[in-house]
Amino acid sequence: MTVLAKNSAKEHDNDLLVAVAAGNRRALEELYVSYHRRLARFLSRFTPRYENVEEIINDTFMVVWQRSKDFRYASQVSTWIIGIAYRTALKSLRRQKNHAGALRLDDYPEQTTDPTLETEVRDWLKHGLERLPIEQRLTLELAYHMGHSLEEIAAITECPVGTVKARMFHAREKLRQYLPTLGGSACALSMRDE
Amino acid sequence: MNYDHPSHAVREHQEISTLIPWYLNGSIAEHQRQRLDVHVSLCAECRDDLALERSVYLGMRAETAVEYMPAASLKLLQARLDGIDAAASVDLPAGLPAAQRPGRAAVPWHGVMAASVAVMAVALSLLAADRWLQARARTTRPDYYTVTTAVPRAPGEVIRAVFAPNITLVELQSLLDEAQLRIISGPTEAGVYSLAANSRRPVNSSLALLRGHAKVRFAESTQPSTGSGELP
Repeated sequence: MTVLAKNSAKEHDNDLLVAVAAGNRRALEELYVSYHRRLARFLSRFTPRYENVEEIINDTFMVVWQRSKDFRYASQVSTWIIGIAYRTALKSLRRQKNHAGALRLDDYPEQTTDPTLETEVRDWLKHGLERLPIEQRLTLELAYHMGHSLEEIAAITECPVGTVKARMFHAREKLRQYLPTLGGSACALSMRDE
Repeated sequence: MNYDHPSHAVREHQEISTLIPWYLNGSIAEHQRQRLDVHVSLCAECRDDLALERSVYLGMRAETAVEYMPAASLKLLQARLDGIDAAASVDLPAGLPAAQRPGRAAVPWHGVMAASVAVMAVALSLLAADRWLQARARTTRPDYYTVTTAVPRAPGEVIRAVFAPNITLVELQSLLDEAQLRIISGPTEAGVYSLAANSRRPVNSSLALLRGHAKVRFAESTQPSTGSGELP
């Protein structure tokens, strides 16, 4: 049973957050379940262990629980929650990097991908993404994996639009630098996609 | 492309290039989308740029096959919230609204101390319970199990099922009513529910109904005669 009647996804999220701010645990649980899959899939691209994904999601929703009264509804609830997850993940990933060094490719779980996508491209992407600075990779993932707009990413990351543009530019440039050595020629890739 | 001045052409290429990510993910404004469409239809360089970036985009859109179930994680969050609530109730005068509890806004140092004590108490209780369960398990069954080890079946269980994380209670109840089933245990850490029959309806019929539902990830009969389970 839902906590509040559903109108639209955004309005429903707003209603739930109002209820959370009033101390309604059921509303928090409903919000948690509705965001868990999206956040888990996003976060699992950065950390191979589910325990880490789970910890980041739960830390995110602890902040949602504690700070819901401060939310002013100037942005979408989804942008706010993903922004909290972004900052929580950023802290966690920096900590992991400091403690354990860069993750090896073998640490990542096997993934099932579009069968039409060439193995060569997947391998190149895996290697290339691992080598990006975390802020640049998160920007790319927010745009390509999560489908957020430039303005939404600026709100999520609490950065000016210009910074997001710069991160995106550098991420794309660096990925392409790895292309000739890791994944074949740019020409071959572009022809495959035509 | 034919431009009056070379610097104009360079600037146009740069601007088109910065639009490509947002063009690919569908978040670009309509007038910018049209501008890019016109440009790439005339400019081979930017057309190649777009094709290459589309490869990256499609590669990153590919989903993992792993399905994350929220039930077990949610229980951990609930335990954390319970710890904070317990600490707050010890620390505060009765009648203070829940929304004003320190655990929800600014936690004072003594609240943190109380929360820490409560969490440690819960942890010690869990540790003691775990030790007791392990000791008991040693006398009755092995300390380990494999994926082929049969999980003890709940009395009356006829089907095991995993539901999509976004299924609502209303949808779940409606589905179970239609299939004439009821939940007798679960979810497990893997999100598995044990279901029992509410009527004499054939198990195969209920199973087919579950497997045909979009929000049923997995349904398996525990009756030997109904064949193997499969993803719906």
